[in-house]
Amino acid sequence: MKGGSRSRFWHSDGRRLSGLSTVLLLVPFFAVIAFVFVYPIAQLLVISVAEPHPTLGNYARVVDNPVHVRVLMRTLWTAALVTALSVVLGFPVAYYMSRVKGVRAALVAVCVILPLWSSVLVRTAAWSFLFQRNGLINSALMALGLTSQPFKLLYTQSAVVIAMTHVLLPFMILPIYGSLRSIPNDYVRAAAVLGATRLRTFLEVILPLSLSGVVSGSLLVFLTALGFFITPALLGSPQEMMISTLVSKQIREVLDWPFAAALVGVLTVFVTVLALVFSKTLRFDRLMGSAS
Amino acid sequence: MKPISTTSATAGASVRISRLEKRFGPVVAVDGVDLDIAAGEFIALLGPSGSGKTTILMSVAGFEFPTSGAIEVDSEDLTYVPSNRRNLGMVFQNYTLFPHMTILDNVAFPLKMRGLPRAEGHARAEAALATVRLAGYGHRRPNELSGGQQQRVALARAIVYQPRVLLMDEPLSALDKNLREDMQLEIKRLHAELGITVIFVTHDQGEALTMADRIAVLKDGRIQQLGPARELYERPANLFTAGFIGEMNFVDVMVKSIGATIAVALPWGETWQLPAAAAVDAMEPAQAAVLAVRPERLELGAGAAGQVGDRQAVEGQVIKVTLSDIVYAGSALLLIGRLPDGTEIRARLPGASRLGSLAAGDVASFTVPAEAALLYRRSAR
Repeated sequence: MKGGSRSRFWHSDGRRLSGLSTVLLLVPFFAVIAFVFVYPIAQLLVISVAEPHPTLGNYARVVDNPVHVRVLMRTLWTAALVTALSVVLGFPVAYYMSRVKGVRAALVAVCVILPLWSSVLVRTAAWSFLFQRNGLINSALMALGLTSQPFKLLYTQSAVVIAMTHVLLPFMILPIYGSLRSIPNDYVRAAAVLGATRLRTFLEVILPLSLSGVVSGSLLVFLTALGFFITPALLGSPQEMMISTLVSKQIREVLDWPFAAALVGVLTVFVTVLALVFSKTLRFDRLMGSAS
Repeated sequence: MKPISTTSATAGASVRISRLEKRFGPVVAVDGVDLDIAAGEFIALLGPSGSGKTTILMSVAGFEFPTSGAIEVDSEDLTYVPSNRRNLGMVFQNYTLFPHMTILDNVAFPLKMRGLPRAEGHARAEAALATVRLAGYGHRRPNELSGGQQQRVALARAIVYQPRVLLMDEPLSALDKNLREDMQLEIKRLHAELGITVIFVTHDQGEALTMADRIAVLKDGRIQQLGPARELYERPANLFTAGFIGEMNFVDVMVKSIGATIAVALPWGETWQLPAAAAVDAMEPAQAAVLAVRPERLELGAGAAGQVGDRQAVEGQVIKVTLSDIVYAGSALLLIGRLPDGTEIRARLPGASRLGSLAAGDVASFTVPAEAALLYRRSAR
């Protein structure tokens, strides 16, 4: 490539992209996003207020029916519980990952990331196998003599929470790991030489500096959990529906599109408000695990 | 707990490092270092990267435990005591102020760790900030300060609890040149005011020469030479130190005979008589040696050498240099040329008055004053 055509794509310093190449690189992605995400969501939101005639009645139906309010509350509570569990389980793993080097670090990283490469369906199916009446968990409990009767595990809200936590845990670990990794080791040494014990160093320096990662991870997990479908559908009880299963039911069985759209609208409002509230702390560069 | 105040001076502690050795697998980072540091002394550990200077400091700070050897502060063995119980002050290269705390909280941090009430801690932190001339900056965040200011805060934080030894790990290398010189003076002033013992790691020889009472030159984990700046510069103990500290010209010579003077054969056939004191290493006849002369000790012209042959031994020797480069360097003129055998040689002349009268290609005579010549054994190079 000669200088003439090159200058159209790169600035003379060869590092920054020109305006034209920026557009060329981003247009395909944004075109797809606009077509498969923005357009359908916008359509749904329009349906939620326009059908069967211009009205807010669809939203009133969400709020008026205590069953639907309960579904909404259950969804929020489940998402919150999954988030809390992910923090408790994920922080120690992220902390360990940030402290070790070499083979051990690679091993833990693989264990965290590998599940992301298998589908959610496979992982959920695996859990349903474990949770069965005579599945591995119940057999183990009975073999150990901890119970004489098998527990009902499958099709319970507990099963949903456990499996969702498992599926979403990497999204908590990686941002926390990123924020921990960006803390220079000299901070830890400085704290020590200034008289801080390991515990004080953790509480006064490491924890505060990793909070941005905790917030990022929590937001990622919470927002994803709000709209989780496969796991509640496969492991949950039909009596304890989540909002996504309710939406699916409205669209596929009841064929009540305006009401389903209103449910999606409520969810969208929640997600947007949360994202805006935390937009300052939600640092996307941290999600990638890079040092800031 | 000892009473803490930031106004009255505390005496420094003596530090004794004995037979210190640190291995990282097959790599010997520190290879049997002995170093006695007097109370209140300012000592610099100077060396290229990988010389072990940082590892020694890390061992004193307690971030690394040595493979063998001992570290004592005021005769108390601290070799395996954790960092947080050593009560040493430390300033790092990259400031390491905690970004989520205000300046005041940063400086008060060590006091908080020592259980001081918050108000008292803040009052003392405020006083420490005043000693580094940053009074009134306490409410700011570290990222609102310049690099030099941040390093002064780090200094205040390191002295606020009145440690008796202050460790500094290349504290000025992140700063630009002017700021570095200001900070050198600032650190010297604090050292004089507080009477604290300072161990200062640097790879910058100028910094070491200007700041330290004594300098330990390190290479490959061993101390090459330990002494005050003047001794190091005027009479380097070995070829490494001679080449590492300042600029030095080297000419390979052969020792011919040793008597009241030392006769050496130069590569271009001349024989010079050097004073016996020129030999830094013990010499013997037929010894391969290296003649070392500082560029600023060369004098332009043959006048000082005198004309009478037997006076040359005391007055100096004359060399003829074919000039290749004449570099104007402000306060000095740098002349680069070659000796008759092709060895490169440099001379620094104060001022630039000769700039007009010299040109590349000229053959200039320089006098090597007798007392400027140093003679080392030539090891296989």
